[in-house]
Amino acid sequence: MGDLLELDGLTRRYGAVTALDDLSFSVPAGQVVGFLGPNGAGKTTTMRAVFALTDLDAGTVRWKGAPVGEAQRRRFGYMPEERGLYPNMLVGEQLEYLARLHGMGPADAKSAVTSLLERLGIAERVGSKVETLSHGNQQRVQLAAALVHSPELLLLDEPLAGLDPSGIDTIGEVLVEQAKAGCCVLFSSHQLDQVEDLCESVTIIDHGRLIVSGRVDDLATSGPRRLVVRVEGDRDAAWARSLSGVTISEVGGGEVRLVLGEDVDSDVVLRAASAAGRLTEFVFARRRLSEVFREALG
Amino acid sequence: MRSLIIIVVVLVLAGSRAWMRRHRRQTRPDTAHTYWGPVSSGVGLVAARDVRERVKSRIFIVGTLFILAVVAASIIIPTLNKSRISTQVVGVVGTLSAPYRSTAVSSAHSVGTKIRFVDEPTLARAQRDLRSGNIDFAIIDAQRIEVNKAVSASDSSTTAQTVGAVALGLGQDRAVAAAQLDPAQIAILQGIKPLPVKGLHAGTPAKPVRAVSLIGVILIFVMLSQYNTWILIGVMEEKSSRVIEVLLATLRPIQLLTGKVLGIGLVAFAQAALILAFALGLASAVGSNVLHGTGPIELASSLVWLVVGYAFYSWVYAAAGSMAERQDQVQTLAFPLSLPMIFGYVVALTSASSASVSLLVKVLAYLPPTAPFEMPVLVGRSDVTWWQFSASIVISLVATVGLARLASRIYRRAILRTGRRVKWREVLGHGAV
Repeated sequence: MGDLLELDGLTRRYGAVTALDDLSFSVPAGQVVGFLGPNGAGKTTTMRAVFALTDLDAGTVRWKGAPVGEAQRRRFGYMPEERGLYPNMLVGEQLEYLARLHGMGPADAKSAVTSLLERLGIAERVGSKVETLSHGNQQRVQLAAALVHSPELLLLDEPLAGLDPSGIDTIGEVLVEQAKAGCCVLFSSHQLDQVEDLCESVTIIDHGRLIVSGRVDDLATSGPRRLVVRVEGDRDAAWARSLSGVTISEVGGGEVRLVLGEDVDSDVVLRAASAAGRLTEFVFARRRLSEVFREALG
Repeated sequence: MRSLIIIVVVLVLAGSRAWMRRHRRQTRPDTAHTYWGPVSSGVGLVAARDVRERVKSRIFIVGTLFILAVVAASIIIPTLNKSRISTQVVGVVGTLSAPYRSTAVSSAHSVGTKIRFVDEPTLARAQRDLRSGNIDFAIIDAQRIEVNKAVSASDSSTTAQTVGAVALGLGQDRAVAAAQLDPAQIAILQGIKPLPVKGLHAGTPAKPVRAVSLIGVILIFVMLSQYNTWILIGVMEEKSSRVIEVLLATLRPIQLLTGKVLGIGLVAFAQAALILAFALGLASAVGSNVLHGTGPIELASSLVWLVVGYAFYSWVYAAAGSMAERQDQVQTLAFPLSLPMIFGYVVALTSASSASVSLLVKVLAYLPPTAPFEMPVLVGRSDVTWWQFSASIVISLVATVGLARLASRIYRRAILRTGRRVKWREVLGHGAV
């Protein structure tokens, strides 16, 4: 499927601070796309720009080739970074209200709320006030608020933040379902392992500029060779630090991830590892998304 | 009436502050799954939500009942006072001739009281009855009057007024008797009339404001205070709960703002209509003359100025609400905003009780912040023509349109700025959101 959402040359300045700097990328339909970047990279400003919640100094947001207007935005779903619902309103009442704001009729809105709450596992809370729900359930209601009108584009700002593994699984499944149904899904997160599991593509920005964008598989297999080595009793991979042309990418959990230069012979690494202790793992590996992220940002 | 007005002002201000503190706990739980009715536009949906949320809140129900109670009291109490003519029990020591008794009765009647005579066998018995309260005062041998506690000229009690009138009447009768006049001369004296007084220039007769307009001004103040506070809190609440970003992803700021102003305005207008209908019905039922002679113009004037005043102030309060996200910030913002209302209200009440309308009131009647209070007073005094009334409305509406545009701009700039109170210069200066 082609790209549905196109961000073209977005620029936004706040005085001397440039939040978005000629940012351009696109999001295809039918995929969950991860939107990554360090704090202050411009992710939230980008999402707000799609919903015209911030003015742009330059650039255009297009949907299906045409500039986004009010009518298009009613077909979009949004979960802002700062969660927000009416605390005193009942869950069902609130979701129906939001569905109606997106143009649904009363009967359709009620039906959509019922089925969505069932899907998210909180059907029994339809008559509860939002403020009485646990954090995880409030998060689910917030996701329901973004999904209730069956949007064509779903923008989610840190949807997995603060969730337990069960909540992450549920929301992840729903996002994948939405993408399979043809929805265009873009979500930001700092939990890169989850992003790697959920996303087919990622876009990484920093200082308002595009750093890298592409399919997760392509990014994982690109770049220099990587080795995962596990030496019994080794915690700091001191043995690898003296190897010429070898860079330590990550150390943790008893394993070390190494990046090999073009002319490095893996047998040299094998011998060094064996000399350091009993070798329990020595395998070539794909590039992790966390490595992509770190290497992209320099 | 002044005491009532002061009480109303104090209660309104105290109520507003209390509501600000407690508003989060004042929404009644509702277990029903909702139906939003036929309203389909964004503005209509926002308005419908606000109507529903406000009407079901406990503060609205209690507030409406309170206002109805105040209105009922202001109608019924004067009726009770009027219908209750007190009777003074008068002890008579010695002889009090029939003409003197007649004079005493008519003198008491002139101050709105009746008297009932009780013969006292001795002065000592009469004084004992005075001390015990069995009689209110005693006439001793048609020559003097004794009371339990001395009365002064400033004493406004029923007994003091009756004693004063009876003492004067009996004194005049005794003077006439002492003069030994013939019946014709007595008749002349009884027909005393004051001399006519004529001015060189025709004066302006005092036109006291009619009760309905006065009540209208009080209600306008009460309701503007209440509903503008709702606007302020409502906008602040959407900002502090962060739901605003979800809403603005679907609605334009002006749609959201208009819906909120419209929804709360509908509640205000419906409440005002209910109160006025209640007042008219009750006045008719108890035979009160408080609303007697009130024309539809005075009623319509109060309702029109409630709507116009609300339209003007609602935008100001909405813009201010978008700049705050905490209760203390709201209270800091609300006080200066309420000053023009309080000023207009106090001037209107002062004017209502004065003999003539001052130039200040006539000027304030054309300024949008104070016109909702001054113009109903002028209408109540029949001191304004239809075109002056219309001109003031046009001025207010034009100002409201300008204010709405400014408020929308402030709202759009301030509503998504969180973490601290937004300053006026940040939202009034140039630059983008």
